[in-house]
Amino acid sequence: MASSQKHVFSLTGVLYQLERLEAHDQRSARPQDGHQGPQDSETDLEAKILKLRKLRDELRTKVKLHEAGARIPIANLEPYEPLKNSEENLKMKLEKAKAFFQAFHLTGLSGKLTTKGVCICFNTAFEGNILDSYYVDLIIKKPLQIHRHSVPVFIPLEQIAAKYLETNFQHFVYSLSEHLNGYSGRKYQADQLQCGFSAFLARPLQRNSLCTLLSFTYTMDPSGESFPFCARLVYQDLTTTLPTDVTITYQGTGATPASWENQRAVHETLFYKNALHKVFESFLRVRENFDCVSSVP
Amino acid sequence: MGHSSVIGMDEIVAEFIRRTILKIPVAEIGKILRIWNFIPESQLKTINLKQCKENVSQDVVELCKKKRASMKEAAILDIIYHQTCQIKKIWTVYKMTKAPGEEVDLSDMEEFKDSFKKVLQRALKNVHISFRDSEDTAVWIRIAWGTPYMKPNQYKTTYMVYHSQTPFVFISHCRIKKYIPELWQALMTAGNYHKIQQMELRSLYLDSLKAIVFKQYNQDFQTYCLTSLEEENSEVEIVDPRIIHENMKEKERIQRVTRETFGDYVQPRIEFAQYKLETKFKTDPKNGILAEREEPFRCLVKFSSPHLLEALKSLAPAGIADAPLSSLLTCIPHKAMNYFTIREK
Repeated sequence: MASSQKHVFSLTGVLYQLERLEAHDQRSARPQDGHQGPQDSETDLEAKILKLRKLRDELRTKVKLHEAGARIPIANLEPYEPLKNSEENLKMKLEKAKAFFQAFHLTGLSGKLTTKGVCICFNTAFEGNILDSYYVDLIIKKPLQIHRHSVPVFIPLEQIAAKYLETNFQHFVYSLSEHLNGYSGRKYQADQLQCGFSAFLARPLQRNSLCTLLSFTYTMDPSGESFPFCARLVYQDLTTTLPTDVTITYQGTGATPASWENQRAVHETLFYKNALHKVFESFLRVRENFDCVSSVP
Repeated sequence: MGHSSVIGMDEIVAEFIRRTILKIPVAEIGKILRIWNFIPESQLKTINLKQCKENVSQDVVELCKKKRASMKEAAILDIIYHQTCQIKKIWTVYKMTKAPGEEVDLSDMEEFKDSFKKVLQRALKNVHISFRDSEDTAVWIRIAWGTPYMKPNQYKTTYMVYHSQTPFVFISHCRIKKYIPELWQALMTAGNYHKIQQMELRSLYLDSLKAIVFKQYNQDFQTYCLTSLEEENSEVEIVDPRIIHENMKEKERIQRVTRETFGDYVQPRIEFAQYKLETKFKTDPKNGILAEREEPFRCLVKFSSPHLLEALKSLAPAGIADAPLSSLLTCIPHKAMNYFTIREK
């Protein structure tokens, strides 16, 4: 091996292999050596060198593109003949995984590679508000395993994993993301109602852990003279942020006036179609308008 | 002496309230009474908290008598006391499982409470059941046990904490153990579960148990990536660059391994871990009579500490143990166990 030759270590070991082959080629070209080199004939070696050079050039252009900021489309990473060194294969796979996660970052999903596998981060959001993040740490081996996670215990993670983790990884990630976003969205609405509109509530908001059942009593009139509405919102689908069942009733004794009944019907529709705090914001506007009107002499 | 509404407050209730107030640390009495919200604020202000506790509790009892407190309200006061103060009671964790194929259900807490109460009262005479919701969507259930011939004993109570839509229940038992089957039945019927099992996890600290079981500790996933781990700069006391720490590399390795095992944050607090060994005694086959025993050598090893997991975490950095520690010690929070039985493989 010519010692004066500088080793060029590049992104992949291909160039290093190439150098070795070239050096070996040079050595076997010298007539004085006793070594004959491998059994392959000269033409085979030449063909191999040409192939590797072609591959090297392709990879160089790809590196340049990557550095220029362009994203390498995953489909363009062509399969090539596996080299003796399987480390290249693994590196290619890691690059592919990185690009995959970069693309998904916009959907609130991101991942980091760890020593044994990958840690997926689920960033949840609702109506433009960034909410909590949850992590799932996976060990890549057969079968795929969840090492640890920060998903709340009432999210059916085991069921989702049992269904999709082995068979369809993308679907697993997608389904879990939907559940987490659904939960975050419902929790956000419940928190907003509890903190922002407590003036309307006759008694504190009641909820269960998943926020799939919300129960509260509210009045339109701050003085408490009007008949209260007792609302019960049920979210049958764990991935939605709008209720599937809305029931508004009157808990007291006696008959309710027709105006109350009308309001009840209107409110029920509102709760079906809008986020909880938005409905109460509209109530607030109605109340403010009413105050404005009534204060006019 | 037993008529409550005609004469005034029941003497039993009065005594119970008096004794409960005596148990509460003086600093917390005002806070707890306010949370209880039974005595109006204006009257609370009249209580002089600086006098001796006996007098404070008498004053409170007098105010309660005016409002005719019943055992129902007194039970709530007891629950609030348990929720607020660190009570020296061991909490055990139980895990419930649903029948296979059952989906996550809606879990209406009101229905749960109704159902639980009905089932338990149908099975047993003279049980006094109280509920109080806590902020984290959990319900505290207080049960005072009686017999068909005796009214419930308000001083021997069982506390249960249940978070909706989770399979875990935290129970702090009094010494009455014979009604456990009825308790399980009520719990499983109300929660729509199929089976209940005791976990090998016990501690004085309910919050730590929750943290372990709900996996709320040590969730710093953002730095959990080997490539971004940076060694913290140890304090540079030595100014002269010719002096180095002899075992710097080893020290750094230990720090890294400890960090990977335990994470950066404070561990949940438990006070003991117990290992029951049923393994054969391993020694040189020629030496000693113990070597020839066929039966396993039974032995109990118990680690105690005011804060066991933090103590374990500091063992390797202190140089007392090798890093990494035995997985039997480090698996405690991950496996949610602190009682182990080790048998021959």
